[in-house]
Amino acid sequence: MRQVTRLLAAGLLLAGLSLPAAAATPERVQVTGEVIDTWCYITDIMFGEGSTHHQCALWCAVGGIPVGVLGDDGEVYMVLKVGDDTTNVANPAILEIQTHRVSVDGDLYERDGIKYLLIDQVVNDEGIVNVNHDDFGIQPFGE
Amino acid sequence: MKRALTLGALALAFFASQPAAQAAQGWGLPEEEEVRFDATVVDVLCELTGDCPDNCGNGTRQLGLLDGEGVLHFVHKNFTPFTGASWELQDFCGKMVTADGLFTTNKGYRIFVLQFVREGADGKWQRANRFTGQWAEKNGVAADSKEAKQWFRNDPEVQRLIDEDGVFGLGADADKAYFEANQ
Ligand SMILES: [Cu+2]
Repeated sequence: MRQVTRLLAAGLLLAGLSLPAAAATPERVQVTGEVIDTWCYITDIMFGEGSTHHQCALWCAVGGIPVGVLGDDGEVYMVLKVGDDTTNVANPAILEIQTHRVSVDGDLYERDGIKYLLIDQVVNDEGIVNVNHDDFGIQPFGE
Repeated sequence: MKRALTLGALALAFFASQPAAQAAQGWGLPEEEEVRFDATVVDVLCELTGDCPDNCGNGTRQLGLLDGEGVLHFVHKNFTPFTGASWELQDFCGKMVTADGLFTTNKGYRIFVLQFVREGADGKWQRANRFTGQWAEKNGVAADSKEAKQWFRNDPEVQRLIDEDGVFGLGADADKAYFEANQ
């Protein structure tokens, strides 16, 4: 594994690309999408979107798994901050908007294939609009 | 373990067939890789922006593993159900650790599951499952109790949110309609 990483790093250097700097400049963005539990969604271990997954998304957020926004562009944005609050483990403010469709303004940092979003402001909160529990039940245990 | 690693491919084949006590355990995740690597435990937000509270925020910040090539690995999971890894790594803030676990890649993202961790190369291996004990202590129950094992159903914060908005987050009427139709 480490060998592979080294080879990749060497390959990047040979290709004339530099490795990411420690502190990069963010991009100002507005993202619209659904607040999700990133673990269940990325791994597909269950159906991880919408009302069907709301309870599990609360469990995971309270359990300290990173919460994200699944953008309408299909990208997953890992939320590291909301407003002035830089708590990004089990943040009670993020729990209140779990599964909601939101539009947020913030700074986007990309590092080693992951998109990290520092939200300044939730500019629109439509609540939970992805109502899919009649199709998928209660993920993952049915209760 | 150390000796075997120096044997390269032979050793890899050996470990693949005979998992050591503290070696990564496959979970059948997409594009799963069982890995062990050395890295420094960092506060991800601090690493990105320079906003660096003492001691990696004392459990309030997602932590990452910065490897020897400067690659930041985002740590998503620990070894217990529905729980992350920040609190597993908190004691190692700023320190070099050996991390053992799984990478999984899906939908274009490669994320890490921490299963075991030790400080430096000679530290004692620790299973990344401290969450349950910490939760049990906070909630005044035994670590091996039914309540602690099903912490997600017994957590007061979770219960408060479900009581407020229902299982689907859509209110009590949506719950009632669903349970009536599906009993
Ligand atoms: Cu889930």
